[in-house]
Amino acid sequence: MATRTENPWIRRTLIGIALLYLGLFIFLPLVVVFYTGLSKGLAVYFQSFSDPAALSAIRLTVLTALIAVPLNLVFGIAASWAIAKFDFWGKNLLTTLIDLPLSVSPVISGLIFILLFGAQGAFGPWLMDHGIKVIFAPPAIILATIFVTFPMVARELIPVMKAQGNEEEEAALTLGASGFQTFWRITLPNIKWGLLYGVILCNARAMGEFGAVSVVSGHIRGQTNTLPLHIEILYNEYNFTAAFAAASLLALLALVTLFLKSIVEYRYRAELKAAVRTENV
Amino acid sequence: MRKVLFIILAGFIWGVSVSDIYAAKKITLLNVSYDPTRELYEEYNKIFIKHWQKKTGEAVEIYQSHGGSGKQARGVIDGLDADIVTLALAYDIDSIAERSGLIAANWQQRLPQKSAPYTSTIVLLVRKGNPKNIKDWDDLAKPGILVVTPNPKTSGGARWNYLAAWGYALYKWNNDQAKAQEFLKAIYKNVAVLDSGARGSTTTFVERGIGDVLISWENEAYLAVKELGLDKLEIIIPSVTILAEPPVAAVDRNVSRHGTIQVVDEYLRYLYSEEGQEIAAKNYYRPRSETVAKRYQDQFKPVKLFTIDEIFGGWQKAQKTHFADKGTFDQIYQ
Amino acid sequence: MSIDVKQISKTFGTFKALDNIELKIATGELIALLGPSGSGKTTLLRIIAGLEKADHGEIYFHGKDVRTEETKDRNVGFVFQHYALFRHMTVFENIAFGLKVKPKAIRPSPEKIKAKVHELLKLVQLEWVADRYPSELSGGQRQRIALARALAIEPRVLLLDEPFGSLDAKVRKELRQWLRRFHDDLHITTLFVTHDQEEALEVADRVVVMNKGKIEQAGTPEEVYHNPASVFVLNFLGNVNLFHGRVEETKATKMYVRPHELTVSRNPISANSIKAKISFINPAGSVVKIDAQTSDGQLIQAEIAQEEYKSLKLKRNEEICLTPKNITYSEYDI
Repeated sequence: MATRTENPWIRRTLIGIALLYLGLFIFLPLVVVFYTGLSKGLAVYFQSFSDPAALSAIRLTVLTALIAVPLNLVFGIAASWAIAKFDFWGKNLLTTLIDLPLSVSPVISGLIFILLFGAQGAFGPWLMDHGIKVIFAPPAIILATIFVTFPMVARELIPVMKAQGNEEEEAALTLGASGFQTFWRITLPNIKWGLLYGVILCNARAMGEFGAVSVVSGHIRGQTNTLPLHIEILYNEYNFTAAFAAASLLALLALVTLFLKSIVEYRYRAELKAAVRTENV
Repeated sequence: MRKVLFIILAGFIWGVSVSDIYAAKKITLLNVSYDPTRELYEEYNKIFIKHWQKKTGEAVEIYQSHGGSGKQARGVIDGLDADIVTLALAYDIDSIAERSGLIAANWQQRLPQKSAPYTSTIVLLVRKGNPKNIKDWDDLAKPGILVVTPNPKTSGGARWNYLAAWGYALYKWNNDQAKAQEFLKAIYKNVAVLDSGARGSTTTFVERGIGDVLISWENEAYLAVKELGLDKLEIIIPSVTILAEPPVAAVDRNVSRHGTIQVVDEYLRYLYSEEGQEIAAKNYYRPRSETVAKRYQDQFKPVKLFTIDEIFGGWQKAQKTHFADKGTFDQIYQ
Repeated sequence: MSIDVKQISKTFGTFKALDNIELKIATGELIALLGPSGSGKTTLLRIIAGLEKADHGEIYFHGKDVRTEETKDRNVGFVFQHYALFRHMTVFENIAFGLKVKPKAIRPSPEKIKAKVHELLKLVQLEWVADRYPSELSGGQRQRIALARALAIEPRVLLLDEPFGSLDAKVRKELRQWLRRFHDDLHITTLFVTHDQEEALEVADRVVVMNKGKIEQAGTPEEVYHNPASVFVLNFLGNVNLFHGRVEETKATKMYVRPHELTVSRNPISANSIKAKISFINPAGSVVKIDAQTSDGQLIQAEIAQEEYKSLKLKRNEEICLTPKNITYSEYDI
């Protein structure tokens, strides 16, 4: 029982450091955000959201999440299923590619799109000729967001699917179920918590992304600003109260995300425990 | 499952259609500008919309984008669909013309005063009471002084700052280029933070309280004092400084594609009108119009100015010598 | 429904799992695929089910080539070693699954499904667990539910992969007999995979002994036990003592005697009697197991009836004589 023989002061120090860290880097900033946002009173706080530029930013942020999250959900499920249940040429490559957006700086992610779809880029002239606006317009923002968030779902699902193995799916096949029926009735219900977890993370990142979106946005006020970009603009206009008021929205999103995550984790662990009991009987 | 797909599809269509509604009903213009002009164009756009409505009965919607001048130019080249560019220096508009052909090469001659409807200059902003006793450019090179200025690679204002200091050095040391480079090196050694745009530097100095002196656009300095308190900041006018002429231009190819030639033309010309010049002066830009200038003569102190053409032979040369790869900036700032 | 396996081969990477397997199974037979790990028995079962594809060869169900048929169309009932019950569904839903996923045209009504599920639960004597979840059942119960689920689709062949492998000895024995009785009632062609020779001999109509991807022998339990076609089969089915026999110029002989085919006496009975010293007696069980060692160190295992043991009054370290009643000879070249 090595844990009991260590000096209790070491334990207290480590916990103390952890709490200090949390306090300084998470708790304190959150408090400052809400305090500054509300410093001129509730009326001003709510007024900052009725500004048309703010509304447009909120709308664009929500739209981006509404598109990026479901798409990444579908892609994540497909990729995880392929990786966890099959062996195929290029499997390792796919696994590495999925991790790519996490290791690449968000700014680079944005630049990639400019290189591809910008006026001087690979597809730029073709897009211009056909009057299709990608870069410096909402489509680029959505694309950049999809890119930086697509690992979120896949990375949650791959270990879950791997741990569950193929047997239930094979059983379904022998009972006459088609591929789709097997997926819908057997695979999905089994991965539902991992899926939910992945979606929550994906959404949080999609709504909060700054770097990649900033590069491809064009910063056109009222058109191509998401909430994080809008906050930067307000700050740059010396409008600190409004900036922090908008920031408090994102802070609220973070808190809600953490809350949902905890619930999912709790239910997930309970199910996992039950499943482990199943295997050992 | 089908319900979820339907909701997503509906949301998408709604989002797209709502952003298109404005395009269908009104004329829209995009003005891609540099960092400190937010307040200027917010006001100017309001009066221009009224003016155009009165003149033609048409409604026009104007969108703004702001950022470091070089960065914005880069954006337009990459496809940022600007009708108008109002940038910090002629060089940035030249580079748009050269690299993308979106603007005609002779753009600068199309409007009066080399397409610069207002001017500004470079001044020094210090803390109230001037505790570090900063009187002129020399003081910035003194050890222990923290200087705030943006990055010349991305910010137009930063390049004006740099050249203003260089010009002063040439005056002081009798055109000795080597001495000037040493002087700039000493100043940049004192730089605390290199923001990407002029507004960023202002925020760093004023809001975050970093640094002893901010090298800044004159209009930025006045704006900062107005917004954040006469009791906190002070403006120091150096003995000699550079005349900054931030130009404006129509982005010809975009404008003809959008069919907005007439309104853009008027937008640019109206900047030179008395109403336009009034807005500029109100926002601390030195107006070209003598009548308006007289009204604001208390606001704008007389300054000894040199131009970029006199001292540096124009922007092309200055860019090549100082800000291109391996130019003097790269040499002094590692 | 009869199954005809023709020249089936399967390789995984460099490992040859099945090598040219030929097997004919008559309608209604209960066949055991018996062999050690890696013998290919599970692979063969999965290929018949369609869960794996063979590299070469054909499989015929009642004369029809099923190679092009997907698993879901082959109408096979498969029972997995670890049951593979759908953990998120109740027992009722598990059994009903096969009926619920049938195409709309031939899907039975909910009432019919309910009736069928209860009929099957009755068959496996587990009507009372219908609303429970698999995690709430014991291993033996789960196995029976897995069987019921497989039977729900009225399969033409039943395939079981080590169905009793994860259960304890008593439950295993019970289920074994139950499977046998079950098969007698329903007469579905059944194949089950096992590595337990006792199980195979007790339950099956025919035993197919496999080793290293090949079929060593296929025959009735009596045939494979009493007339083993190879040394491997002999060794695998039951314990056996090995003696080295005559050595001639080019040939040597090995002799195999089963433990229960040795007569134990205090004095030699014939010229073949072997003298040995008792090293260990295990009197617990239906027969008494005696380990003895000859003077040159060979270990011999003998089995005698309890009455005989009592009448001989054998004790450890006593000298006895062992006489073989039945010898299997195997000659090989040296």
